[in-house]
Amino acid sequence: MARKTKLILTTALLASGLVAHGGAGAAPSAAAPNQADIAVKQRSNLTAPEMVKQGNEYFKGMNDTVKRITDLKNQAQRQKDIIRLNCVNDKLVQAKVNITIGEQAMSSLQESISRADEGGRTHEFTRLTIVNQKVQVLGAEAENCIGEDLSFVGATRVDVEVDPNLPTVDVTQPAAPQIDTARPPPASQG
Amino acid sequence: MNRRLALTIAVLALLSARRAAAQEMSIGYQGLPYKATGESPTGINLGEGVLMHVGLGAEAGYDSNVFYGSSSIPGAVIGSGILRFSGYGEVTNASRNGTVPGLSYDVRAGLTYRRYLSDNVYVKNYDNAWMPSAGLSLGTSAGTWTFALSDSFLRQEDPPYQTTGLARSVSPISRDNNLATLQAQWMPGGGRITGTLRYTNSIDLFEANSGYSYANSLTHTFTLDVSWKWLPKTALFVQANQGYVSYLNTNSEGKVPSYPLRIIAGLRGLITPKLQAVVSLGYVNAFYSSGATTGGFWGSTYVDVQGIINPTMLSRLTVGYHQDFQNSIISNFYYQYSVYASWVQQIAGRLSLDLSGRYSHNSYRGLLFDTTQSRSDNSFLAGATLDYFIRNWIYAGVGYSFTANVSDYHLPNAMGMPDPAKPVDYLKNQVFARLGVTY
Repeated sequence: MARKTKLILTTALLASGLVAHGGAGAAPSAAAPNQADIAVKQRSNLTAPEMVKQGNEYFKGMNDTVKRITDLKNQAQRQKDIIRLNCVNDKLVQAKVNITIGEQAMSSLQESISRADEGGRTHEFTRLTIVNQKVQVLGAEAENCIGEDLSFVGATRVDVEVDPNLPTVDVTQPAAPQIDTARPPPASQG
Repeated sequence: MNRRLALTIAVLALLSARRAAAQEMSIGYQGLPYKATGESPTGINLGEGVLMHVGLGAEAGYDSNVFYGSSSIPGAVIGSGILRFSGYGEVTNASRNGTVPGLSYDVRAGLTYRRYLSDNVYVKNYDNAWMPSAGLSLGTSAGTWTFALSDSFLRQEDPPYQTTGLARSVSPISRDNNLATLQAQWMPGGGRITGTLRYTNSIDLFEANSGYSYANSLTHTFTLDVSWKWLPKTALFVQANQGYVSYLNTNSEGKVPSYPLRIIAGLRGLITPKLQAVVSLGYVNAFYSSGATTGGFWGSTYVDVQGIINPTMLSRLTVGYHQDFQNSIISNFYYQYSVYASWVQQIAGRLSLDLSGRYSHNSYRGLLFDTTQSRSDNSFLAGATLDYFIRNWIYAGVGYSFTANVSDYHLPNAMGMPDPAKPVDYLKNQVFARLGVTY
């Protein structure tokens, strides 16, 4: 459910980015700098081939980031650091989801280019850019996941203190028979 | 517990002329030990897993009444200086700190020599006595089932009673006891339930001319004890003892076999960390094959109540009451009602003080040599020792023993009538200075 929420939020963020940037047909060069979404820098000079090339570089970076997060996950597993493992795993899942979104955006970008859809091309490239930034942020967050070593205060140690007054022998055992050492009483023997 | 106090208690728990009931409480003057206490990390390493303990001791003192004579008879009370030396050796595979391996063994042998120093012609008849002792035990301590085998031998020699005459031909009272025990114990699961099955074989022999050889006996006893630890160191228990007592000599004196039965239930163990108790009630029946036997409500009732309190780590108070019947040498049996108390105190880290006392009322039934009288003896026993521990394994001290008997009985004369010249009352005091080494 948390993952779904994050996906919805990401999509909403992308959608809000699109709205901020005027959607299809808006000429990037016409957006005033002080009205632009500071999270995304529009490159109005990128040609279609440059967008595809940039997109491929985004994917290379995102895959490197996912690989790095996977390495962190394996490290946490080896250390049996459950807290850190949960944190890194969460980032990894989000990163993979974002890559999936990026792949869809890349595919749509190439379709827009083939259709000479300027607005669509820009939209999809923007999505790709945002997804790339998200994955980089997730990578940074995964590096900063806190494990047990910062909250770990030491292995549990049990100290047993026995009351010195307690008897060391088992006092619940039945008494052992003993030799009769009593002197026989005096008696006249017939 | 402090090591020295533990040593004291362990020393005091060893060889003693009188044992109270319940948890092996010893009352009266405690002689020198005949085996290692197991409380101190002592012993000589003979090899891998083999430890040897040795002990030597010497006592010098005075005995006020060598022949247990009555003060009402002139010349009957004869005193003498007394020396007593003892030594023992013990080999075991228990470690110095007391831990035992899965299969443990313990073999020991000792010897006590007693000498009277008086020049009195009667005392000189009995001035030397050699009293050997020996023991063996094997046991397993791991697993649901544990087994134990043990055997103890002891020879005792004492001067005869003044009332039996002090002619040179009267032999000392020499007694040889051998006690063998075979035990199997079952402790399933976490050990809260324990079942114990024990067979005890006891041979009690009076040497020839001791005057009591007619009472040489062989006793077989089977014991079944089931306990449930409702707390870690407190158990409720039910116990049944069935014995068979037979006599080895042709018994013209009238000793008859018996089949003593005791069925007991109660509690034993810790009540609080400082209070240990045994509370038990039961039914007893001697089942003598002929003559007097136990009966009636009080005569069939077994009572054993004991409390051990440790007010501090350096002290221990014990009080108790015991009611039972005992097989008798001079009759079929006697009912015994006794109260006892003991106080052990360590002082200033090196001194150990022990005070103990017991009063016992013994009511005899089926007297062998006198059918005209009844007999009840009131026996008093008290002891005190004060030991200074130079080290944990060497101590020097002084001791005092008091023994007395007050009875309504007089031995019969030739006519079979009570003879006023033959009372069985006596009062005996002994004082000792002693030095002991137990390593």
